[in-house]
Formats: sequence, structure tokens, C-alpha cells
Amino acid sequence: MLNDLLYRLRALFRRNAVETELNEEIRFHFDKEVEKYRKQGMTDEEARRCARLAFGGHEQVKEDCREARGTGLIETGVQDLRYALRQLWSNPSFAVVIILTLALSIGANSAIFSVISSVLIKSLPYPQPEKIVRVFLTSNVYPKFPLNPFDFRDYRTHSKSFDSLAAFSRGDMQLSGGSAEPVRLHGFRITSGFFRVLGLHPQLGREFDVKAETPGNGLQVILSDRVWRSQFGAAPDIVGRKITLNAEPFTVVGVMPAGVEHPGNEYHSLAYGEDVDLWSPFTFDGDPTRRGAHYIEGIGRLQDGVSVEQSQSELNAIMTQIARDLGQGKSGWQVMVIPLYREVVGSSQRMLLVLLGAVGMVLLIACANAANLLLARAATRQREIAVRLALGASRSRLVRQLLTESLLIALMGGALGLGMAAGGVKGLVSLLPADFPRAHEIHVSAPVFAFTFLVSAATGIFFGLIPAIQASRIDPRRGLHEGGRSSTGTGRLSRLRNALVVSEVSLACVLLIGAGLMLRSLLNLVHLDPGFREEHVLTASVSLPGAEYKTEGSVGRFYDTLTTNLASIPGVEATGAGSDLPWTGYDENISLNIEGKQAPPHDEFHARYHVATLDYFRALGIPLLRGRFFTAGDKPDAPRVVIINHAMAQKYWPGEDVVGKRVTWEDQPKEKDWFTVVGVVGDVKDKPNSPDAEPAFWWADLQPLFPLLDMSIVVRSTSDQQSLADAVRNEVRRLDPALAVADVEWMDVIVYGSVATPRFAFVLVGLFAGLAILLAAIGTYGVISYSVSQRTPEFGLRMALGAQRLDVINLVLVQAAKLVLTGTVLGLLLALTLARVLKSLIYDVSPADPLTFGSVGLMVIAIAVLACYIPARKATKADPMIALRAE
Amino acid sequence: MELQRIDLPQGTVDLLILRTLSAGPQHGWAISERVLQVSSDVLRIQQGSLYPALHRLERRGWIKARWGTSDNNRRAKYYELTRAGEKQLEVETDSWRKLTAAVAQILESV
Repeated sequence: MLNDLLYRLRALFRRNAVETELNEEIRFHFDKEVEKYRKQGMTDEEARRCARLAFGGHEQVKEDCREARGTGLIETGVQDLRYALRQLWSNPSFAVVIILTLALSIGANSAIFSVISSVLIKSLPYPQPEKIVRVFLTSNVYPKFPLNPFDFRDYRTHSKSFDSLAAFSRGDMQLSGGSAEPVRLHGFRITSGFFRVLGLHPQLGREFDVKAETPGNGLQVILSDRVWRSQFGAAPDIVGRKITLNAEPFTVVGVMPAGVEHPGNEYHSLAYGEDVDLWSPFTFDGDPTRRGAHYIEGIGRLQDGVSVEQSQSELNAIMTQIARDLGQGKSGWQVMVIPLYREVVGSSQRMLLVLLGAVGMVLLIACANAANLLLARAATRQREIAVRLALGASRSRLVRQLLTESLLIALMGGALGLGMAAGGVKGLVSLLPADFPRAHEIHVSAPVFAFTFLVSAATGIFFGLIPAIQASRIDPRRGLHEGGRSSTGTGRLSRLRNALVVSEVSLACVLLIGAGLMLRSLLNLVHLDPGFREEHVLTASVSLPGAEYKTEGSVGRFYDTLTTNLASIPGVEATGAGSDLPWTGYDENISLNIEGKQAPPHDEFHARYHVATLDYFRALGIPLLRGRFFTAGDKPDAPRVVIINHAMAQKYWPGEDVVGKRVTWEDQPKEKDWFTVVGVVGDVKDKPNSPDAEPAFWWADLQPLFPLLDMSIVVRSTSDQQSLADAVRNEVRRLDPALAVADVEWMDVIVYGSVATPRFAFVLVGLFAGLAILLAAIGTYGVISYSVSQRTPEFGLRMALGAQRLDVINLVLVQAAKLVLTGTVLGLLLALTLARVLKSLIYDVSPADPLTFGSVGLMVIAIAVLACYIPARKATKADPMIALRAE
Repeated sequence: MELQRIDLPQGTVDLLILRTLSAGPQHGWAISERVLQVSSDVLRIQQGSLYPALHRLERRGWIKARWGTSDNNRRAKYYELTRAGEKQLEVETDSWRKLTAAVAQILESV
């Protein structure tokens, strides 16, 4: 074995020495042979002739010896490579076109694959991430609903499926104290065991224990690495220190390490991976028998050997038991457990796979194009190949050599493409919607290198194999005889090339239709009535520390004064404050009782609760449909009122006049517990593409059921001047210098951002479709102009016989139209079957949208005919004399 | 004089080379001459198969080559049997005997 290896290595690396030895050896043999014949009495010349005859071909013997050395494959590989390089060098424009188109399409594939590899394939950055699940409620009406805290606590007590079960809820806090300006920090309120679920450990201190969940014990905080460093200078003695958050003293119990990813979702919280600054304990305040409020999110780590389904059915059993204990009937709610991975990437998965499919098609088109170019060149190389075959080259050797050439082209394209991908990925990430999961993890990594290499190699073989086999089938006698002027025997070749063009056109069609559908969907979304008017509206958020704003009255007074002051700024038309803003993922719900109505046996009346000041609706431009807005008369001691949205009116009072109806949040309401509906406002959906608005109502800010400390401020002015933001900050500071203003944003920016995902999908698919139709046009142009060059004598003859230019152009265009029409029809049919996968990605457009299909069909035909017009005109330039002489 | 010559299969060429070299180191030409002589001009190893066979046997480690001087003072490549080659010769001789005996048996039985 070792001997074998050493021998081969010497043969490979000391190739020249080995070759010289072989020459000498054979020379020696030959001389001995000549000598022998001479001794038999022949003349010198005769002896040489006999020896040569006996010996056979020197070169053949040497070649066999090389094979016997066992290095043949590598040596011929190197030869083929050199040959291929020479070939490319000798025809640089061919090389540039083919390598560039491949680089573009391989690069696009690598870029999309980097996104997929980082978002879908790489596992989440927690130990054993597959065991982490999210826990939701679900019903026929609400696919995903947050949990009630006391329900959650019962699940945690009784469940045996989980190694650890925890819950979290958004809880931003304001850090103050010291000389620095107060800052608003992104925070979460978490139950004990939250980090145990994630499998993460504090770098300093510890996690919250169960005692921290008891009301009164909640003044503890865990800091992120970033805040620890930026706000506290990475003080090593931070644990145990008291810091001022929301004007209360919180004890630091721990610091998390850098790079802790929040396991978020698109759902009422920060997106996955966004920066969380601090975590505080979730405390179970309130009456445990009242379970109407749903606002915390469950997360758990499954025990070994417990499946998602098992944990779900266990939790459902517990839920049924709780309802029985509380004396309630069966409800329409179910517990739903889903893997964290699905929750994080679920919504982006389909879009990414569609994008991968789209770039895959671009690559197929590029392959067809490359194969076509190679076939065209193979036709001109027929003579060369015939000569090589005649000189004894084996067909497999020829195929190998031609494949080496296509592999070389593909790998060069791949290398260039990888460079393009590295640049492209940066562009891609900047195009991504802000809430796209794991966006900051996307980069060109080792798997992307491997992917690019494999794709390039596969591409090279794919587009090289057909031309290579085709070329090796050449009959040497005929190839030599015809002297390379290949007018016959190319029927099969041209059929093949036509088939390639047809498939290019049809794939380009599919991509264009995908892009067209996405464009229509995007336009639908952009032109959708959002339910409010976003122009010239500035928004910001303020969080009042509960320690200082203890009563509903003090909270209401603050916002009333603030909005009144803001309204007096010149240019301000209306200003209001509310619990939330449209399209920001707010999802706090409460069950309620409706006067004179009984909830259906398996459900409760549910609606999303909000709080608003007088001019909140006017400032946002949400229209009043019936009744009135809040007025200054809706004071704490006045009769209590609510404003509901159209969806709630439709759902709970269908066909009735709803103004004057009453609702309550008490089970045994006294007269003062009733809230009267005084107005109905227009619907605003959760997201611009949500199918319907959720039922929702607003309490007047002076009459809420419970105080809401975090409010969003809305200011409508006559223009978008930047000074407005400063004015808002100043007004807040004037009222309370300890308050921070956060999330200052123009509403039209939020609206623009809300269609980021469909815009992203459209831009990419549009780009790919553009590339595809360009490649298909090049392919069509190539085939038609080749065929024109082949038919030049025929055209010349026709013109000599009196054909007009137009007749010749027609001839060419008819030939082209056959290909293009076939391709277009096939493409439209293919698109009709494939477009169904887009259904969940497009809004208010049928996947079989006739407008898109029609216009794409016409466009493809127009572009392809244009691509054929140039060769067609060339055909008319055929000089009859030259053409005839050439025959 | 017209001699009837037999085309040799590859394995047989290997066996003949090994056997010839067991008498002592030889260069390629001498090997083919010797085979021709000993077989009374019946077996001629074509040069086209001799040299590839020598290279193959060398790669397998059954023979090794070194440069020496021939009888008329020219540099020539001499091949000699290695220990592995001797063993291989035994194995191949044995299996050749078995094969020919078996073939002979069949030929005679009919």
C-alpha cells in the first residue's frame, strides 16, 4: 500500500524525471531491437523499419505506461484544465458572458442561502433549543392568545411535562438617579425560571426565585451585559446595589452575559433577538379568581422524552380542571403548545423558501443559457473534435475534457458569485423588515461557502454534460469530411437548443408572474385604507413611574395637562394620548359582560382594551361612525363611558343601535359599575394585511378600570418639522423632569415599515425576474442569430429569387415566435400550478390573477420578439452573391 | 518461417515477467527476448504490453528498478524481483498450475 502511494507520488511530482526515464528505457529497447535485426543480416534501414513495426506506436506505449503508473486521471485532469484555460482565453467575450451570467445567478443563490442558513438552518442560540416551546391559548376566533397570569400559575403548579415553565410580559422601565438624563430601557417582566427555560445563566449573581413573584417582593432587577457596561461602568460589585427604576429602588440581583437573545415573536413584544436592557420579576397581583385579563406569554422547556403534543394535552387537562374548580363551564379555549423555532421563524419560512425557489429558477435559466452557448460553440468545434477522435482519443476522455471546461467555467462563476453574494447579503439585510427574525445573524458563513461550491460544481456538470455528450457523438469521418461547415447532422442539436430556449422563456414567465403578483399585492397593501391618517403625525411614548403616580386621577391629570400644553404649540392641529398606537403589536384583552346578553355557553365576550384622551382619535385621524368622541365632561365622577370600534359593534350588537348600550367588568355590577357606549369609531386592523379588525374598546383616560402608566402620545401638526419632536420632549420635561421620552417616530414611517415584508419579497422576486427575462432574451437572441448565420445562404438565395426584406424578417420572426409562444404558454401553465404556494404571501390578489398573467404573457412575447429582431435584420443583409459563392 | 504466436492475457504477462526475473535482474528487452527463446519463439510479449506491465508491477512493489550498465556499456533500466514479488510468483505459479490442470481435465474428459 505504502509502496503504491510513494510510487504514485513520485510519478506525480517528479513527473519530468519519470518521463525522461521512460523515454530512455524505450529508446534502449528500440535500439536493442534494431541491433538484433541487423545481426540477422538486415540493412540499417530495414532493421529500423522492422523494429518500428514490431514496437507499435511509441506514444501509445508511453500513454499506457502513464496509465499503469496510476496517475493518469490526475495528469489528464491537469492537461484538460490547461486546455480549458487556453480555450477560454482564446474566446474572451464568450468566457465573460458565460462566467458573468453564472456569477450573477450563483451569487444570488448564495446570498439567499446565507439568509436561509442563518435564519432557518442554524439552531437557536440556546442549549437544546428543540426542547423550548411557546404556550398560547387558541380559539376559533383568536388563533394565538396570551395567557392569564393565574391560569399560568396553575399550569406551572400541576404540569409535569416541563423541566421549567415560565412567562414574560413587556415591561419597559425608566432608569434615573445620578446626574444623567433619565433613560427609557427595554425590559421584560419575567417569572422565575425564565432563564432556566432558555438554558442561560447570569454571569454575575442569580436568577429570580419564586419569592420574587409575590406582590411586594418585585423590586429586583437583572441587567443585560450592555446596560451593565454602559450605565454602570461594568462595576464588579453591582449585585446587591440599589438602582432607581420608575422612581423606585430596585436591587440588582444579577447580570446576564452578552449576546442573550430574547425569544420573541411578532406578537406583542420585542421581535426575536432585539436588545433587552433589563428583566424584572413578574408579580401575581390581584384577585386569583378573576381570570379575564390575558396578557402574559408562556414559554417552557420540555422534560426529556415528553413531546409537544403530550405537554399540550396535559395543559388542556389542567385547564379543564381549573374551570371546574372555579365553577365555570367548558370554554371555547384550548391551550396550544408550539416549538419556539416555529414561532420565531414560522412567518418568514415560506417567504424564504419561495425566494430560494425563485433564485433556483434563475440558476436553471443561467444553466440553460450556458448549455446553449456551449452547444453553439460545440458546433463550431466539430472539426477539432472529429480530428481528435480520428487520432484515437477515446470518447470518455473527450467528455471528461469538455466537462473540465464547463466545471472550470462554473467554478470561476461561483467564485465571482461568492464575492457578489458577500456584498449582496449586506444589501439584503438592510432591505429586511425591522421585525425579521434573526436578521443580525445573517452573514456569509462556512456553510454558504460549501453551498456555493456544491452548487457551482453541480451547475458545471449540469450545463456541461449535454453539450459534452453531444460533441462526443460526432462521427469523425463526417466531421472531417464536412470541414466544420455543419449544415447537416445538426437537426438534433438545434432541437436541443430550441428546447433549452423554450424552457428558459417559460421559467422567466413563472418568475415574472411571481413578481407581478407580489407587486399587485404590495400595491393593494399600500393603497389599503389603514383606518387612520398617518400624514404629519408624530408619536412618542412615556412611562409614568407607579410609585409617584399612584392614583388613576394623577395619571389622567398628567396626560390631560400634557396634551393640552402640546395642543397650544403653533402648527399643532390635535394631540392625544392613548394606551397604544396602531400596528405596533398591542394585544391586551379582557373579558366583559354585556347588559341584556348572555355569552354563548362555550365562550366569553372578549375585547381588546385601550385607553384614550379626548383628542386621541382626532389626532390619529380615526373617524367617528356614530355617537360622540370623549369630551371634557367624561370626568372620574361623571357617568362612565366607553367608545367601541365598528368590529365590536358588529360582533356583539349586530344590527342594533349600539349607542347607549351598557357593558361592565363586574360579575355582580352595581349601577356605578356600568359603562355606557357613547361612540363607535372606525376599525384599525392589527396589521395592514390582517383579515379583519379585532373587537376593541377605549376607556376615557380619566375613567379607566385600572391606571395605565405607559402611554403613547400622538401629535398631528400641519407639517413634519423636526422641531416638533423637541417641543414634545420639552413639554414632558417641564411637567416632570424625571421622565424620559422614548420611541419618537413619525406615523408615516411606521406605516412605511409595516409593508416592509411584502416590499422585500417583491423587490427580490422582481430583481430575479428581471435577471431571468434578460437571460432568456440573451438565450433567444443567441439561438435565433445562430440559426440565421446557418441559414444565410438560404436567405441569400431567396433574396436572389426576389424575396423582399420583409419576407425574410418574417421567416426569422415566425421561427422565433414558435419558440417564444411555446415557452410562454408552458410558463403560464407552470405558473398557474406554482402560484398557489404564494397564496399566504400575497394580499387580496388571486394566485391566478388574469391581469398579471395577461400582461406578463404579452411582455415576454414582446421582449423575446425584440431580441430576435436584430438577427432578423441581419438576415436581410445577406448578400446573395457571397452566400451563393460560399455554397 | 511462420510461427504461430499467441496473444497473452495481462495476468499471464505478469506471471511470465516475474518468472523470468526470478533468474536474476534483467532489462525490458532481455525479458521479452528470454520469454521468446524459452518458449521456442511461441510467446512474444508485445512491447505495448511489456512496459505498462513493468510499471504496474513496480507500482505494486513486486519488482523494483535500478539503473545499470548493459553488456555494450549503455545505461539500461534493470528490474529485479522483490521479496513480495517472490511470494507473488509462488501464488501465481500455483494458481496457474491449478487452472491449467483443471482446463486440461475438462478438455480431456469430453
